[in-house]
Amino acid sequence: MGVRVVLVDADLGGANLHTFFGISPPTLSLSDYMKKRVSHLHHVLIPTAVPNLQLLSGAQDLLNAADAKNQQKRKLLRSIQSLEGDYILVDLGAGNSLGVLDFFLMSDGGILVVTPEPTSIENAYRFLKSAFYRKLRQSVPSHSVKSLIDGIMDGKNELGIRSPHDLIQAARRINEEDARRIEEEAETFHPNLILNQVRSKKDIEIGFSIRSACQKYFGIHVHYLGYVVYDQDVCHSIRRRRPLVLENARSKAAQCVMEIASKLANRQQTSFTF
Amino acid sequence: MKRIEEQTYYEILEISPTATLKEIQRAYERSKETFQSDSVAIYSLFSEEEIEKIQTAIEEAYRVLMEETLRKDYDRSYYQEHSEVKQEKPPELKAISREKKESLSFTELSIEMGEVTYRGKTMKQIRERMGVELKAISAETKISQRVLEWIEEETLEKLPSIVYLKGFLKGYAQFLNLDPQKVVSGYLQFISEKKKK
Repeated sequence: MGVRVVLVDADLGGANLHTFFGISPPTLSLSDYMKKRVSHLHHVLIPTAVPNLQLLSGAQDLLNAADAKNQQKRKLLRSIQSLEGDYILVDLGAGNSLGVLDFFLMSDGGILVVTPEPTSIENAYRFLKSAFYRKLRQSVPSHSVKSLIDGIMDGKNELGIRSPHDLIQAARRINEEDARRIEEEAETFHPNLILNQVRSKKDIEIGFSIRSACQKYFGIHVHYLGYVVYDQDVCHSIRRRRPLVLENARSKAAQCVMEIASKLANRQQTSFTF
Repeated sequence: MKRIEEQTYYEILEISPTATLKEIQRAYERSKETFQSDSVAIYSLFSEEEIEKIQTAIEEAYRVLMEETLRKDYDRSYYQEHSEVKQEKPPELKAISREKKESLSFTELSIEMGEVTYRGKTMKQIRERMGVELKAISAETKISQRVLEWIEEETLEKLPSIVYLKGFLKGYAQFLNLDPQKVVSGYLQFISEKKKK
């Protein structure tokens, strides 16, 4: 596609993207930047076997970089945003820690990768709720509405707020202007979805159903980017420590990945309003 | 952001206000499947009470929009109250119609057969709700009207051999904008069970 891409391994507690490329743990990584051993993030970039793709390797030290201070994480966020490239892909770790949520929310289009199983879907909804309410919380100045939003994260809150609709009603009773802000902010939340390891047509359709469910629950439009089929070639490529699209570009999973990539690239060229 | 009670029937089924009967039918089937109590896609998101509310809304939207007179009355009363909606689609519907244009391709996958849902009576019911004559389907699909009648009436002894039947069912399903694979597998399973009896 001829675009310059930077892949950032921001799974701060379990960085291992270098392994997918057959690269030994790099001597310079995000840790060196966070610990000020290098002055600029671009000094940490390393080339990969894929043309136009550079890797910014995740923290390699044994001390958990996921515990980095908020200030350090904010600095990292800003530095990533200033990297040069047509696309910056940031790989985040699992879970819904504040660091992960903030990385997700800073993106132009956060992508959730979900497998068609209840456990994965449950985690995806938990993550979406956390990201959604954090975004809303950041949009309002009043402390009372902020605490209301904090309250909703506690499923057993005394106010009986269970959904975004309830939240807006409750916020309206406190501050009309903040309720309007919440509504506006909610409309700008458009996460993307990829279904991974699908084995049947029914699995693929789960993506559309998740989209509908989010529309009904959050009132938001989730964009279903596509799916990746379950394919043994993925395991083989990981064992050989070669990217799937280089190891076996004709495999079904690689075809799916390329289709999604081209969809994203085309959309970026037209506009990035998800 | 609207509660389910505040959404229009079109928003509930996630279709455009100009949706055809085929599109309504398809949207209804998808919504129904999505919001079944045991659906994986909604796992952990809604309470039982919320799911029940959504299911009722889906049934009501389908009932009204599939009936020409009821739909006209609904449109008239709704648009009188919200005349601005007539001029412009709600933003969420715009996004949905935009996405439908880039629909995902299912063809390259090995696909499991769906559940038994379609038998002759079901097909007939859907066709009648759409107000389509068998004659019109026959003209369009080049399937003999008599064969279509046998399919709908489930006249097993007169149905053509499986190879031909599959092709006819596929054509019929495509005309009704149903999933051909689901229809073929559902129908064949139905007749094999009927033969056993």
